[in-house]
Amino acid sequence: MYVILVYDIGKRRVTKMLKHCRKYLNWIQNSVFEGEISKARLTEMLDQAYEIMDDEEDSIIVFKSKNKEWLEKEILGFERQSTSNML
Amino acid sequence: MNIIATHINYLHICHRKLWLFVNGINMEHSSDLVYEGKHIGEHSYNQRSPKFREVELEGAKIDFFDPQTKTIHETKKSNAFEKAHVAQVRYYQYLLHHNGVLETRGIIEYPKQRKRIEIEPLNSNDFTEIENWVKAVRAIGNEIEMPNRKDKPSKCKNCSYFDFCWISENE
Amino acid sequence: MKKTYYLFNPGRLSRKDNTLKFTPVDEDGKEGQPRYLPVENVNDLYVFGSLDANSALYNFLGKQSIAVHFFDYYEHYTGSFMPKDYLLAGKMQIAQTQYYLSAKKRMPLARSFVRGAALNMLKNLQYYNRREKDLNQTIGQIEALMLQIPEYNKIDQLMGLEGNIRQAYYQAFDTIINDFEMGTRTKQPPQNEVNTLISFGNMMCYTACLGQIYHTQLNPTISFLHEPGYRRYSLALDLAEIFKPLLVDRTIFSLLNKRQVKSSDFRHELNRCVLKDSARKEFVKAFEEKLSDTIQHRSLGRSVSYKHLIKLECYKLTKHLLGAEGYVPFKAWW
Repeated sequence: MYVILVYDIGKRRVTKMLKHCRKYLNWIQNSVFEGEISKARLTEMLDQAYEIMDDEEDSIIVFKSKNKEWLEKEILGFERQSTSNML
Repeated sequence: MNIIATHINYLHICHRKLWLFVNGINMEHSSDLVYEGKHIGEHSYNQRSPKFREVELEGAKIDFFDPQTKTIHETKKSNAFEKAHVAQVRYYQYLLHHNGVLETRGIIEYPKQRKRIEIEPLNSNDFTEIENWVKAVRAIGNEIEMPNRKDKPSKCKNCSYFDFCWISENE
Repeated sequence: MKKTYYLFNPGRLSRKDNTLKFTPVDEDGKEGQPRYLPVENVNDLYVFGSLDANSALYNFLGKQSIAVHFFDYYEHYTGSFMPKDYLLAGKMQIAQTQYYLSAKKRMPLARSFVRGAALNMLKNLQYYNRREKDLNQTIGQIEALMLQIPEYNKIDQLMGLEGNIRQAYYQAFDTIINDFEMGTRTKQPPQNEVNTLISFGNMMCYTACLGQIYHTQLNPTISFLHEPGYRRYSLALDLAEIFKPLLVDRTIFSLLNKRQVKSSDFRHELNRCVLKDSARKEFVKAFEEKLSDTIQHRSLGRSVSYKHLIKLECYKLTKHLLGAEGYVPFKAWW
């Protein structure tokens, strides 16, 4: 599946969360990640993310789509980072 | 061949799967299903962990054993292969027995289906049956030829060997 | 499915916070904005530009079972970093070796690779034949050559026949491709645009096959049509035969005929024709898209990517070697 993940994490935990998410998805701008991921890997990722976050203060939202094609992406201004696999 | 619980489990699912596994033809790495299966095993009991012990025996690693009630806890993703799951827990009981832990019980839980199965201590018939399983595993594993796949692909849904067994060019 | 990452720009790849960090470095040594690659989603890496990396990185890649394939300035494949085999199976190794050692067992497999390759070449020709390119003569020629496949009992004869089939096939390229002339197939070095694309494409196909074999129990160094040792991973050459028409040639036809690659994308050096960076990127992009294209698979009843077709070919070969079902090579049906 193809997902967009956004988080709102307290200052003291945010670096840890950033590093964790970077292992699974492409960072595209502050607090936002994007990428192809399997269902099982996503479960694993969120499980571990849950260990990092404080569920009274922090939140993660995942937008899921079966296919990348079903998602139209429009960028206004400067693209912080692309998700291309050609570097 | 050292018989492990996975062998007993596969014996009750598919002889070809057992044969492939015994002979090192493994696909598990690419299968998300297995991955998720493992996942449930690892995480569902996190909150209740203090009363459980991890028990390592030759042939089995029991993740959740409650020494006080002598109960093996096993969690599975789907109850599609109930018989195999029961056999696996039976084998744990058998191994524990031979390691001096007698009269154990088992509980298999299917959190997604909200279902649980309780397993009584082994009786003498059970011992004979389990010894026959062990013999059967050895016999199948040592066969020169790979056993046949099941008769229909619909019986193989969710198996990590699905593509391996069902790929063919002739319609 | 995990992705292949292609590194064209020079830079440094490192292990950082348990994932991969790529820092572009320009000619003056100035560092650009780093990019983190999600390690859990990396299948393998293709390195075209110059890359700085240390052993800590390779140890990490090894643990993650991520292979790295290297290409030189002229787009030649120069070698791979292959993490240690993680799917070894003794029974399989022995079976594969036995099939190689016994001519009686080896020949049918070698014939299958030639036959599969020829069938997929025909598929391409028939496609263009239906689109106002008269290729009947070549089709007839290849069909006639194919009749000889069962008659040959020596590997070198079979390789010769395979060469003849391919030669006939390449003659049709000048009819299929609109604005470029290929002439004869030249390899070392390729002399014109089409030949350069074929060489580069074939290398990409070989590498893609190697990448898939690595994730199975097959030993990539023991092959059946090609002699082991002809290349380090000669089984990848065997498999590539079958997939080149579908993956490489179709990509070339469409890139050239749609003018996505133009003559200005090539550079002529003394006695050779070289892809400029632009064309190389364009080809890799198109090839990658081709690999991730999906088709509804008839025997599996679900959609699979072209890349997965290569893996499926490995499974069929494995079953053959273990004596289960005879190997029938993949033939495109669309």
